Amino acid sequence: MAARVLQLLRALAFPVLLLAAYEWWARNAGASSDALAPASTAFKTLLQALMGKDLWQATGFTLGTAALGLLLGGVLGIGLGVCLGLSPRAGRMGFLTIEVLRPIPSVALIPLALLVYGFGVRMELSVVAFATFWPMLVLSQAAARQVEPVLLEVAAALQLSPAERVRKIVVPAMVPRLFVALRLGVAIALVVAVTVEIAANPNGMGYAMMIAQQSIDSALMLAWLFWIGITGYAINAAALWLQRGVERRMGVQP
Amino acid sequence: MSLLRFDNVAIRLGGREILSPTSFTVERGEFVCIIGPSGCGKTTLLRAAAGFLRPSAGGVQRHGKEVLAPSREAAFVFQDYGRALLPWRTVEGNVALALEAAGVPAAERPTRIHPVLRTVGLSAHAQKFPVQLSGGMQQRVQIARCLAQEPELMMMDEPFGALDAMTRAGLQDELARLVRDSGLTVLFVTHDLEEAIYLGDRVVALRTNPTRDAPSLAAMIKVDIPRPRDQLATREHPEFLRLRRELYQYLEH
Repeated sequence: MAARVLQLLRALAFPVLLLAAYEWWARNAGASSDALAPASTAFKTLLQALMGKDLWQATGFTLGTAALGLLLGGVLGIGLGVCLGLSPRAGRMGFLTIEVLRPIPSVALIPLALLVYGFGVRMELSVVAFATFWPMLVLSQAAARQVEPVLLEVAAALQLSPAERVRKIVVPAMVPRLFVALRLGVAIALVVAVTVEIAANPNGMGYAMMIAQQSIDSALMLAWLFWIGITGYAINAAALWLQRGVERRMGVQP
Repeated sequence: MSLLRFDNVAIRLGGREILSPTSFTVERGEFVCIIGPSGCGKTTLLRAAAGFLRPSAGGVQRHGKEVLAPSREAAFVFQDYGRALLPWRTVEGNVALALEAAGVPAAERPTRIHPVLRTVGLSAHAQKFPVQLSGGMQQRVQIARCLAQEPELMMMDEPFGALDAMTRAGLQDELARLVRDSGLTVLFVTHDLEEAIYLGDRVVALRTNPTRDAPSLAAMIKVDIPRPRDQLATREHPEFLRLRRELYQYLEH
């Protein structure tokens, strides 16, 4: 226990030192700056915001939209990825289309999504789904291709139906690689959601940060920045926790 | 009618003839071992009998019907036990897979899993995952899964090849007992000559690089050594030693 506390303190030493240096600079050399507020002021602003309703509403909007977009992109991407991974012919046929569409920067679709859906959940959702679809597709295709061939022969020897083969052999065998895809997808979804809000959609955390910046409320802006960072960290930790739980149930030894 | 009939089975891979036309039959309840040096096509022949691949010429018939695809009535024990088990399922879950495939209702499965696990001596390990077991135990799980599908024929591809000598001897005796009790028909591929004589009623020897004068099927020998066999007494039996001497030449390249 004491060793773990010590380890945590060691890990915290550097960020705390950085914050202290920034605080010192903001109070002395940068005191005249309108652009940057000291860290302590930003913390105070964040605590105040945490008491209010707006912060939670904006956070809920961003996370909810990112989650829905990831769900949509993930289900479509994994579904298609399994098909393309299991059938080499389908994989070859899809290859060119995927390689042409995949490099399109997802945020380049913001104007189009805005035209089609207008402001709100749907335009943000569509951009997040597009952004997460490709990595999910490519990673799950690779995962399906790498399923142990002996296991597929076991399935054939037992005369499992194609649906049973996917459900009982292919998908469970893909789980470790799917978690890599999921954690990548979670990060992309959050980045893209916040980007869409900063660039176009007047909702959520990204927009709130933009408003704070435009009204030169640098303490609030920094508070949002810090809060978005915490949210990202928490989501990644949750995905990791989920992964560990599933792995334990699937017999992975610690 | 023979349970299994190899009818001029020939296999070519990449333009090279691996197996020249080979014919023999396997009767119900027989334990037939196939030996040969590596590259002689013994595993390929077994895979053709299981329906994993089609021979380039000729065919394999089970009960007079052409084998076109794998069937649950013929179980296959893979050499690579570590890869043939579902690592995310417990011992019990792995055995259950065979029952799920056969459409056995969930309520009935435990009553079929437990006797099978008892047969292979894994009753105490039903809730363990494969990684928690030794190699010998993992191979027993695979055999248990095959037994659970209640096959009439069990095909085994060097099942004990990767195990240490003591474990191998133990599993050989267990397999012999189990086959005697159940009346299973077994087609057993191995590169271990003594194992083939020890286990088999008949030994089929294959040779590499077959030609017109020297076809793949080099020898087919009946093993007339009484059962139950014993790791010490049988291996010192004069007939065992004679067969070993006679067959040894076929394992050389």
